[in-house]
Amino acid sequence: MKDLESQLRAALRPAAPREAFTKTLLAQISLTRQPRTTLRRTAWLTASLAATLLLAVGARQHVQDLRNRESGLEARRQVIEALRMTSQKLDLAYEAVKNQSASETPGA
Amino acid sequence: MTQRISWLWLILLLPSLAWTAPNPRLLLPEFSALAQKATESVTITLDPSLLAMAGRFLDSNDPQDAATKEVLKGLQGIYVRSYTFDQDAAYRESDIDAVRNQLSAPGWNRLLETRSRKSHADVDIFIMTDKNQAIGLAIIASEPRQFTIVNIVGAIDLEKLHKLEGQFGVPKLDVDLQPAASSPKK
Repeated sequence: MKDLESQLRAALRPAAPREAFTKTLLAQISLTRQPRTTLRRTAWLTASLAATLLLAVGARQHVQDLRNRESGLEARRQVIEALRMTSQKLDLAYEAVKNQSASETPGA
Repeated sequence: MTQRISWLWLILLLPSLAWTAPNPRLLLPEFSALAQKATESVTITLDPSLLAMAGRFLDSNDPQDAATKEVLKGLQGIYVRSYTFDQDAAYRESDIDAVRNQLSAPGWNRLLETRSRKSHADVDIFIMTDKNQAIGLAIIASEPRQFTIVNIVGAIDLEKLHKLEGQFGVPKLDVDLQPAASSPKK
């Protein structure tokens, strides 16, 4: 019995791995880890690029909206100014017609 | 063969027919020399796209804006040139001749001509009609220190323009604004 026990102990004693085995294992580990890091980096880069692109598009749209609004308000101002001037000149004509009618009407 | 020649004539005549179609848009000169002399100058050029844009910024709940919006419907352009000077006779009548000449073209009718001795203001109102519908309006107002040219292009609803009374100070004209009743061309 004791003989069997000692035989088993001898067989199962901790032994240091061979140097070649260690090297291969470490190489395998580094190979499996590297793509994951690269993938994560690529994902972050893509996300950042997408966010930047979205921000740029949003900012451009906002600037465009502001410009459109400015142009629209300017056009509105010009329309009102044009109609005001038109009415002013019509008023001038009206005054002249009124004065003429008054001078032609006897007793006016 | 005869039919073919007729078609050829028609095709050849079409561009000239289009060319003679009355155009309510006046070719307003630059007036650059006058603009330099003027103390104040107003240049307004509103083409259909700008009018549409302006219409989008008019508030229908505001009475003045709503009335303006109604007037703008059917308009294709508003063009204004106005120059104010700090002294009398700073401009010559010949400066406006280029515009007056265009108003003697077929299609234009003088609606009103006023000469005021009191204010020395001369106002000429011209209208262009097509099928009893006003399609163009031109106003030339000459005052001692100011001259203004207004050209409105498009289906002008004079009733709607009338409705602007009080909105922009448009007076109630005692003249008949119906195109059919307009006086013949000068």
